Formats: sequence, structure tokens, C-alpha cells
Amino acid sequence: MKTSAIARGTAALVLALMALPVQAGEVLDRITAAGVIKVATDANWAPQSFVNEQNEMDGFDVDVAKGIAAHLGLKAEFVTPGWDIITAGNWQGRWDMHVGSMTPTSERAKIFSFPAVYYYTPAAVAVHTDSKAASLADLNGKVVGTTTSSTFEAYANQDLVLDVSGAPPFTYEFKPGEVKSYANSSTAFDDLRLGDGTRLDAVVSSLPSILDAEKAGYPIRQLGEPVFYEPLAVAVEHGDAELEAKIAEAVAAMKADGTLGELSKKWYGVDYTKTE
Amino acid sequence: MLYSDTVDSEVLVHKPWFVAAMFLAVFLVLMPFNLAGSGMGELMRPVIGDPAVSGLFGRASIAFVLALLFCINVALIAFLPLRLQVLVVWFELLMLFLAFFQTFNLSLPFIAEKLPFMITQGLLTTVYISAVSIAIATVIAILGAVAKLSNNGFVYAVASFYTSFFRGLPLLMQVYLIYLGLPQLGIIIDAVPAGIIALSLCYGAYMTEIFRAGIQSIDRGQWEASRSLGFGFGLTMRQIILPQSLPVIIPPTGNQFISMLKDSSLVSVIGVWELMFLARTLGQKTFQHMEMLITAALLYWMLSILLELVQARIERHYARSKKR
Repeated sequence: MKTSAIARGTAALVLALMALPVQAGEVLDRITAAGVIKVATDANWAPQSFVNEQNEMDGFDVDVAKGIAAHLGLKAEFVTPGWDIITAGNWQGRWDMHVGSMTPTSERAKIFSFPAVYYYTPAAVAVHTDSKAASLADLNGKVVGTTTSSTFEAYANQDLVLDVSGAPPFTYEFKPGEVKSYANSSTAFDDLRLGDGTRLDAVVSSLPSILDAEKAGYPIRQLGEPVFYEPLAVAVEHGDAELEAKIAEAVAAMKADGTLGELSKKWYGVDYTKTE
Repeated sequence: MLYSDTVDSEVLVHKPWFVAAMFLAVFLVLMPFNLAGSGMGELMRPVIGDPAVSGLFGRASIAFVLALLFCINVALIAFLPLRLQVLVVWFELLMLFLAFFQTFNLSLPFIAEKLPFMITQGLLTTVYISAVSIAIATVIAILGAVAKLSNNGFVYAVASFYTSFFRGLPLLMQVYLIYLGLPQLGIIIDAVPAGIIALSLCYGAYMTEIFRAGIQSIDRGQWEASRSLGFGFGLTMRQIILPQSLPVIIPPTGNQFISMLKDSSLVSVIGVWELMFLARTLGQKTFQHMEMLITAALLYWMLSILLELVQARIERHYARSKKR
């Protein structure tokens, strides 16, 4: 009896080990069978992704995700977990792909694969319209707001690593005295609008979100040139090379036929799919 | 009423020294606020001149007038019968809050446009999650309380570990742990059930302590009398102890329900489209989140008022025996 229990245990172990390589293509098989790819994205990141007038997900990231899904012959379905939940990894099939302007870093590459960079966001610095700062160097020692665990925060703290291929080089233009991190960029803008230096002297954020806030009547202006260009990629969990290949193919096709550039123009008014 | 006797005495707010003290206190509290830019400043224009340049004098005049109005108001209200007093004060405070919200220049059409979705999607999800969690937490609380009062070392240890652990961790962390941690054990659950589990476990732990205290507040003699009548444990608990401890248990439990209703907003971090999530996202694109936040705040408040009314009814029901 005892031997058979051991034998059974061994058999189970062997099966489990054998199951590992079989997992390649597993996600692709599952989503193809379901006809639906579940895409995780933020609901609070206009104009990349947000809830529109019809109370549906909309935005540049959402359109790109739909485009990728269409290339795979699938329907895109959106889920909106918090950013930290997405970046924690371990998706367990709750969602299959993340199209949410994630910057590929070597730290994140331990958890995710980045099959395709689909655009670049210029990161810029916003100050209150009353601010006397004339150049980025004037922000040395000032209080700067950013978004928690973002590349903007890393830039403000001067420990930004952009080690993905194709990331343009950058320099640190200023050294803040204090970096305050917010859950999202609009909270940072809300604090900045209170007045120059009331709570914040400047906010490091993406140029599109700064321009958006400006358009919505926030008393802020962009200071200087963009500080760095952040490559942004589609993220999937490791282990399904076939899915990765398909996504890379889809993004390459969208780039080649100009759809990606069109989408960027539609949402930002500028083609962010190339760096200048 | 803490204690009402039949000795008539002068109303406190009609005593000159108290009115003077109240006036001074309100005046001092109002001084730091700069109300010159508000409608109040416009109203005072004949006295203080241009409100914008009136400076400290303008400020003091406005505070003086407001403090005076406040004292007259309080003194007048004291003449009314009790129920009317409550109504008038509620109405006045409500008006003050509305005036405060008015200062945000909210776009009412935007609120009207989003309100149906906030109710059908957000409010319903919130109520659903809270209601299920409340039911589960109550069951856990009864079991936990009995376990914590048990002589069985194993059961006591499990129950006390449970209450210590789930009262000791922030609820937000529990939500994360359950949503991200359970999959490590091979159990993959969606966001809504994960939120319900976290809320039930956390509030079950708090309510365990409430129920335990309620049960312990019943005199030993009740147990002894019940035992001497030959009642077993279950019967004693159901027929003698719990009915008597309910009046003790209900007020803090009502508190827990109200607080759970609002803490259900924490599950928005795992992407559940409930009231808080919608409040943070719907106005985002157009930078109208103040509108959505205030709408959600009022919806939460209305739900809480409903719960308060239910609680008051139940309390009245159990207070029958104390009526004279």
C-alpha cells in the first residue's frame, strides 16, 4: 500500500512538472476559445483610459487594446483593478493583457513581458501660473508632486531607470527638496491649483495630462521642455510566447498601416508613437 | 434624555453670562475665516465699505454680526418645544452645508446626467456588498462570541487569534491580502467576493467583541436560574441570555453596520465599480470630480440615515420594558 501511495505521489509530481512546458500558448488557447481577451486598465487616467459620457471605458489605451484584440480576432473586455493590483503580478487568469501605458523597466521585466512598445509619453513639469520659476533649474529644493510608484516619482527622486531598448537618453534637470506622491495625477494638480507653493511648487506628470488639466481651466503651465520620453508598452505575464508574438505582430501592423498614429492624433492631437 | 426631573430652572441659554460667553466663543471662532468675499461681505457693504479692502475691521464686523445672529437664534430656539427644536436645528445645519457645497460652483446638469448610473451601478453594488457582508459578519460574530466565552482551549485560541488578527490589520490590507493572497493557495476569486470576504471577516471580528460583551453583561444569576430549571446551553442562550443582551448589543452593532457601509468603499481598489469607484472615475475626464464626490457623499449619507432610522426603531422595540 505504501509503495503505491509513493508511486501515485511521484506520478502526480511528474505530471505537474510535465504540465509546465505545456503551459506555453495556454493563455492564447484560452482566450481564443472564449473569443474574449480580458484587458486590465486604469479607469482614472484620461485621456489614456477613463469612463466616458456613456459610462463605458474609452481613451487611447482602450482604443489600442481594442485594436490588438481585433487583430487577434477577439473581443476586448475591460477590467479596472487598481494600478498596484495590476503591477503586483500574479494575474491568475483574472485578466490576460495590460494596455495601460506601462513603462518597461528591468524591475518590472521580472514579473512581466513587454511584447510591444506602442507609444512614448513626454514627461513634463507643470507649475502654477503665478510661479516665478523661469527654468527647470529654478525648482531645485522645491516641493514637487508626483504619482505613487510612477516613473515621474522616480525622476523626481533621481533614480529613474529607463533600460528598455529605444528609450531616448535624458538628464536630471533639477533636484527637488521634497517629493510628495499622490494616488493619481489629478490629486496632485488639485493641490497645485491651490496656489504657487501653497502645497506644491510643481508637478511632474505626463505632458498630455498637464495639457488636459490646463484645458480644463487649471491655473497651471508647462515649464521648460519635456524632461524625458517614456516608452510605454503592452504587458503580459511571462510564459506564453505565442501570445506575446501575436501581440507584437498586432502592434507592428497597427504601426505600419498608420492606425496607431491616427489614434494618437485622435486622443492627444499629436503623434506620440515616435520620439522627436 | 439623561435624566429629566420636575424641578423648573431657568433655561441655560437665557442666562446673560452664558449668552455673553457663547457670543465671545463664536466671535473668536469666526475671526480666522475670511468671509469678506462671500455674500455676507456684500451684505455688510454699507458698514464696512468695499469688502475686498475692508481688512481686519471688515472681518471683525462680519464675525460680530454673525455671532450676534447665532446667539439670537439659539435663544429663540430655546422657546420652542423639544421636537421643533430638533427640526429647526437640523434644517439650519443642512442649509449651512448646502451653502458650503454651493461654494464649489457645482455643475448640477452634470450631476443629473450621472446620477442614474451612480445609483443603478454604484449604489446597488455598495448596498449589495454591504448587505451580504453584514449578514455573514453577524453569523461569524455569534459563533465567535460563543467561542470566546468557551472553556474549550482550542476553540478559544482560534477565536481570540481571529479577532486579534482581523482587528489588528487595516481593512484595506485585508482586501489586498485576500484578493492577491488567496490565489497563491489556488483559490482564484473575483473582486466582489474578495471584498465581501474581507468585509465580513473584519467586521465579524469587531462584532464578535460586541456580542461577547453583550452576553457577558447578563448577570450570572440568569445562567444559574436557567440551569436550575434544567435548561441546556442552547436553550439558555436562545431564550434567556441573547434576548436580554440584545438591547446592549444593538447600538454598537448599528454603528458597525453604518461604518461597514462606508468601508465597503475600500473594495474600489480592486476595481469593483461601486459608489466610491464611480465617484472617483466618472468626473475624471472633465475634471468634475468634486461634483461626483459630493454626490456620492450625499448618497452614502442617505443610506446611513436609513440605517440609523432602522436602528432607532429596533432600539425602541427593545426599550419597551424600560418604559414607565
